[in-house]
Amino acid sequence: MRSLVKENFIFASLILLVIFFGLAADNFFSLVTLRTILNQLPALTVVTVGMTLVLIVGGIDLSVGSVLGFCATIVGMAMMNWDFSIVTACFLAIGAGIICGSVNGILAAYLALPSFIVTLGMLEMARGMAYITTDSQTMYIGASIQKLALPISGTGVSPALVIALSTVFAAQFILTRTVPGRHIVAVGANTRAARMSGIDTKLYRMVVLAVSGALAGLGGIFNAAYLGAADPNAGAGMELAAIAAAVIGGTSLMGGRGSVAGAFAGVLIIAILQNGLAQLGVSEPAKRLITGGVIIIAVFIDSWRIRRDRMRTG
Amino acid sequence: MAAARLSIQNLHKSFSVPVLTGINLTVKRGEIHGLVGENGAGKTTFGSILAGFVSKDNGMITLDGVEYEPSGPKDAFEAGISCAAQELSLINPLSVTENIALRKLPHSCSVISGQELEQRTRSILQRVGLGSLDPDTRTGTLGLAERQLLEFAKSVFLDCRVLILDEPTAALTAQQASVLHEIVTGLAASGTSVIYISHRLQDVLEVSDNVTVLRDGRIVTTAPAGSMGVAELMEYMSGDFQTGNKTARCAAAQTPEPVLEVEHITTEELPHEISFTARAGEIIGIAGLSGSGRSELLNALFGLTPLTGGAISRHSAGEKVRISNPGTAKRSGMAYLGEDRQSMGLYPGHPVLTNMMVPGDLQGVASMSLLDNRREAAAAEKLVEELSVKCDGLDQDIDQLSGGNQQKILIARWLYCNSDIFLFDEPTRGIDVGTKNMIYNLMFDLRHEGKTILFTSSEIEELMAVGDRIFVLSRRKLVETFTADNWSETEILAACFREFATRTPHVH
Repeated sequence: MRSLVKENFIFASLILLVIFFGLAADNFFSLVTLRTILNQLPALTVVTVGMTLVLIVGGIDLSVGSVLGFCATIVGMAMMNWDFSIVTACFLAIGAGIICGSVNGILAAYLALPSFIVTLGMLEMARGMAYITTDSQTMYIGASIQKLALPISGTGVSPALVIALSTVFAAQFILTRTVPGRHIVAVGANTRAARMSGIDTKLYRMVVLAVSGALAGLGGIFNAAYLGAADPNAGAGMELAAIAAAVIGGTSLMGGRGSVAGAFAGVLIIAILQNGLAQLGVSEPAKRLITGGVIIIAVFIDSWRIRRDRMRTG
Repeated sequence: MAAARLSIQNLHKSFSVPVLTGINLTVKRGEIHGLVGENGAGKTTFGSILAGFVSKDNGMITLDGVEYEPSGPKDAFEAGISCAAQELSLINPLSVTENIALRKLPHSCSVISGQELEQRTRSILQRVGLGSLDPDTRTGTLGLAERQLLEFAKSVFLDCRVLILDEPTAALTAQQASVLHEIVTGLAASGTSVIYISHRLQDVLEVSDNVTVLRDGRIVTTAPAGSMGVAELMEYMSGDFQTGNKTARCAAAQTPEPVLEVEHITTEELPHEISFTARAGEIIGIAGLSGSGRSELLNALFGLTPLTGGAISRHSAGEKVRISNPGTAKRSGMAYLGEDRQSMGLYPGHPVLTNMMVPGDLQGVASMSLLDNRREAAAAEKLVEELSVKCDGLDQDIDQLSGGNQQKILIARWLYCNSDIFLFDEPTRGIDVGTKNMIYNLMFDLRHEGKTILFTSSEIEELMAVGDRIFVLSRRKLVETFTADNWSETEILAACFREFATRTPHVH
């Protein structure tokens, strides 16, 4: 119940934000604005879903941006140089993501290395592999992949967005309504207690990082589709945007608490803020200043709410 | 001895419900004032207010005639009020020295030399009976009893006017407790006033000058300790209290059917081979001094620590399963309750429901891994009722429940899993008498249903009252097995000390 109130609080902020820009900017409600915003979303959304799961289990995945870039280059390579079909290329990209994520997972869970450091290493390695794959060049792919990012005729919604939204729903469902979801939260809330309840804590830590890698791979496909090209620089810094979105959505960096739906609201808040401010003619530096401020305010409100709950406990 | 040191008038505090109502209490200079009551009676809250962790709603506190209103632990500390908390406040990654010195450091303006610090630490450790402990040891690696003594040591050797001890002996053996009591008596003689909160009523009566009984946030009585007995205290604490339910202890139908077979096991912590067979429908108590390997044995049985030799096998319905990790242990029907609720059991910040329904594969409320929320809530509701857990509903935050009720929730977890071998490590530590009795009765019921229980306790009387057999561990070695027809408290105690015989006992 409480988490419901919390998510509603986030969605309420989201609606307030939309109303504010609707009033402040003349054509915020236009179809163009909506399309611009939605088109940017799929990659960040799926990456944020993975990040949220990793954060809830008590880890962190700093490598998602680079893995996304690497997987985008795999798509380009597979389609242009190896002449694979788009489907095979996508499977290859997601497979590459799973491999990167599993390496993170094995090192973090079974060798008990801090996930912060392991994924920081992977951040460098995956970016390096991205440059090697395309020889540091952006590789043009073209219309064959772009159709993933273009609206399905008559709906205004792209296949990529549909897949991303399905991912959000699936992850939220798993987290709240299934046994593995319950166990993920338990591992994050108190790993020792979870282990003593006979839960395989290492397996969960490993699997969640592998899933995060897979979703970064999916993000790489969406990015390539959006650009119509494989850019080895794709996703640079996206790990921080994903962490910010998750935290705005009420996910704890200490683990054990969080919501995928809330994190998606965080993604929307960041996207709407960016676009709304652009429409108001706010300069790029000022946009960053304001976005940063919003993140800090969100965390402040969150920690204040937790502290208030604690005080009641005594 | 005459002057009032601490005077409390009409103190009120509520967290959504009233916790303390109209408390009036005076503690004299050099007085040891015992404070008893069931869990949830408001003892810990009272201590927390004095120590500045929690602020009062109403009322007046005066300290040596000056009004005292702390806005945080620092104020309390500066006013000379020191508190050794029930939930230990030690910082695990730091060394023993650092933990002891932590509170003293801000008090000195000059840098303390390392040598002086070490000397002081050693002398403090000596005084609480931990003389053999290396001051550089990381606190996190110590056992619960050692950490509790450390928590005590940390607060006690500051020059304080009022010392609050909240369950200082919960994890201690009788010997360690008596060392602690000597120190407390000494402090009182030198003028410190002590508020002594404990469930161990005998301890409270022995140590205190006066005893106050709290029930549901109100003072029921305050009287000189000499004028009361344990039974009388219990009556005050809870009107409908019944003493030790011995009648429930029927001779259980003991089938010779072995359910757990332990063959020559060793682990890194238990270097001497241990073998035994546990049968259906019996309760085995595990005795031993702290650090004797009691918890380590249960950990090994549940597969939490890897075996270096031997094997544990679980027999059920003609099948034989090897226990190698907590997962296989759980699936073969074993249940485990850790000695430290906070770090080994609870999911802080999560509701009662989640805390209760975590470990199992949630059979009955989930199909194909999908949870049925309504059936899950119904199952939890039933357990809450069965164990008479006091909570405001399944949505309530687990942190808001009292220790006894938290313990019930943790036990409920395993009842739900239909476990049939229960490993309980100190199941009654820091729990009020009412809940303790409930847990004993629960254990008897489980035995009656043909389940098997292995449990540890620091209190030999408890082991004798509940157990059918008692295993005694001494310095990480299984030295003797007693059965109900041939045991006596002295013999069991002697067995506990057996492996220490080569050393001179360091107490008394």
